[in-house]
Formats: sequence, C-alpha cells, structure tokens
Amino acid sequence: MNQVLTILIIGAITLVGNWIGYKVPILESLPGIALLAVITLIGMGFTKILPFKSPVIVWISLFAMIATSPFFPGSAYTAAAIAKINLLALATPILAYAGLSLGKDIHLFKQLSWRIVVVSLVVFTGTFLFATLFAEIVFKIQGKF
Amino acid sequence: MTEGRVNVFKLHFLVLILVALTEFIGTKKINIGIGVIALFPMLYALVLGGVISWPSFKFLKEKDMNVAANILGVSFLLFVCKLGANIGPELPKLWGAGVSLLVQEVGHIVGTIILGLPVALLLGLKRESIGATYSLDREPNLAIVVDKFGASSPEARGALGVYICGTLFGAIFMSLLASILGSSGLFHPISLAMGAAVGSGSMMAAATGSLAVIFPEAQQDIAFYSGAANLMMSIIGTYVCIFVSLPLTQRLYAWLEPIIGRKNASAETEGGQRSA
Repeated sequence: MNQVLTILIIGAITLVGNWIGYKVPILESLPGIALLAVITLIGMGFTKILPFKSPVIVWISLFAMIATSPFFPGSAYTAAAIAKINLLALATPILAYAGLSLGKDIHLFKQLSWRIVVVSLVVFTGTFLFATLFAEIVFKIQGKF
Repeated sequence: MTEGRVNVFKLHFLVLILVALTEFIGTKKINIGIGVIALFPMLYALVLGGVISWPSFKFLKEKDMNVAANILGVSFLLFVCKLGANIGPELPKLWGAGVSLLVQEVGHIVGTIILGLPVALLLGLKRESIGATYSLDREPNLAIVVDKFGASSPEARGALGVYICGTLFGAIFMSLLASILGSSGLFHPISLAMGAAVGSGSMMAAATGSLAVIFPEAQQDIAFYSGAANLMMSIIGTYVCIFVSLPLTQRLYAWLEPIIGRKNASAETEGGQRSA
C-alpha cells in the first residue's frame, strides 16, 4: 500500500514537471502517467508473488515492452500516451530524492582517503567509456554508422 | 508510525518544490572549450537537494535521508517503465542491435577493472582495490563483497569507499563525462546511450539526461538503446559480478600487485603504512 502511494505521488510530481519543463498540459499527461504507474505496479506485484527472487527492473521493462508492442491490444494508444511524458521529466524527481539523501553519507565520506576518491572516478569512467567504445566498435564493424 | 508518515510527506513536498523550480529554470548549455557542458533541471535538483540535506543544517534527519534513498529506488522504476515503453513499438530494432548490446555489456563489466585496478595499485591500495574496482559498487555489488569477504575486510572497505563516492558525486560525474564524451565527436549517440546504462539509477538518469540535452534530435534513440542496455545489465549483472568480475579481479590482482604494487611499497612505508 505504501509503495502504491509513493508511485502515485511521484507520478503527480512528474505531471507538474512535465507541464512546467516541457509544456505538456497536466490533463494531457495524465493518461501516460497513469499507464506508467499501472505497469510499474504490476511489475512490482509480479516480482513479489514469484516464488524466487528476481530483479524488479526486468519485469517492469518486460511488461512495458509488451504493453507497447504492436501485437498487444491498445498498444498504439498506450505508446502514444506514454510518449507524451518526457524522459527528463521522469529523471528530475529521481535526482531530487537522491539529493535529499546525500547528507547521510557525508560523514562517511570525510573518513575516506583521497586515493579511493580518485579510484572511484576512474572506475566510473571505465565502465561508461569501455561500454561506449565496445558498442561503437561493433556498430562500425557491422557498418551501421 | 505517524511521525514516519509526516517525514515522508515533507520529503515529497520538498521534491515537488525542487522539480517545479528546476524545471522552470530549464536547460542551459555552456561551452567550456573542450566540449559543451549540459546543465539541466535534474542536476540542479540533485545539488539543491544535497544542500537541503547537508547535516549541519539539521533540516533533515538521517532517518529522513534513508527514506529519501528508498523513494529514489521506487522513482527509478517509473523511469525504467518509460524506457521499456520506448522499446515496445520498435521491438524488431532490438534484434538488430543484439551483438552490440552483448559486447557493450562486456565493456561495462571489464571497464571498471581495466581502468580502475592499475590506478588503484599505483596509488598503493592493496586488497581494497579488489572491492573497489571489480564493479561499480552499488548496493547489490556491495552485498556480494560483504558476503564473500566479511564486512570488515579490506575488500569490503574498498567497495564501500567507491559506493559512498558514487552516492555523493556519481551522478554529477557521469553527467559531466557524458557531456565531454558526447561533444568530443568520437562516439555515436547510440553507443553513448548504451554506455550510459551503468547499472545505477541516479548515475544512469544523469548520463542519459546529459546525452538527451546534447543530442536533442536523437532523444528517442538514446532512450531506446540505454533502456535496452539497462535491461541487459539488470538481467545478467548480478550473476556476472559473482561468477566473472570478482574472480577475474582477484586473479588480476594476484598477477599485477607484485608488478605495479611493489613500486609504491617504499614510498608507502615512509608514509608510515601499517604492516597489517
């Protein structure tokens, strides 16, 4: 119940962000947000009733893909409604909550040596850079671009 | 219980204010010579949120901040759902990108080790470097290391260090990196979009956001391919971490530590390093 409420509140916040930042009227975004919330909740519920542990992200992605695939009933409407919600409007609340949680790690951070900070930045760079590089190489070999 | 509820609504209300304010300010692009830095609402929201939660202000309690971190995870689910809904209509495109999706995942997995482990060893880190560089060290990865080596092991210390840095400035750093790599002209937006799916919600949101600002005309593609790469990561990520990344890092450590680790040993001893 708690998580249902949380999803609905985040949805409402996204409506406001999508309106202010991307000029989509709230009523026009409403169906898209509602569909995103419903699919997300189905994914969360499904993960819970499964007898084994599995990443909730997989199920939500899968259900969202199915609901918007051409063979699924009403997929054109679903896809069009969700397309009205700007990706960035969904990302801003994530980082706002992330911001509000930062304070808890500051005292831990003060105990770290500068070396681990440098290593962290190198680790972050490594995963992004190498994945990008490998993807680029494959696409080049395939002649896609 | 009632107190807990009040705190949650305080958090949601703060986020609503942050979202309204930062979306109103909107996107700015700044040219810094070596590339274009994209500044956009989510970054302001992150920084302003960080200021609000700054411990000395005593505006939020540590309990509130833990709840905020939980809600962050839930809000990422809506973002993931949007990415999935982007893939559905063009599902066949996914098979066309199958090989690059697999190969880029290898890049995500080995990237932290290839670049991170040598640097960690050169800086004089010992077994800490295994935990620090075997993965991006988000929650599941942290759990794996603690499970295998124990919570007070050097490996877990290294992983925790990277975890803390990731929480504090991972998102800002990833968005800078995406800006720089994006405006370098070296990579196609689609490759960058796959690279941006690093397996952390806030870092991925920030990186894809930057790319979407830099390549507005490719926004659809960026969402498609980063969504696909993220799905890939979430399906195989944990298993690869346990059965490939961690053993691989341990092997490389055993091999590399005597070679590059030793060079630092003398300097490190002068600095008063403990023998334990």
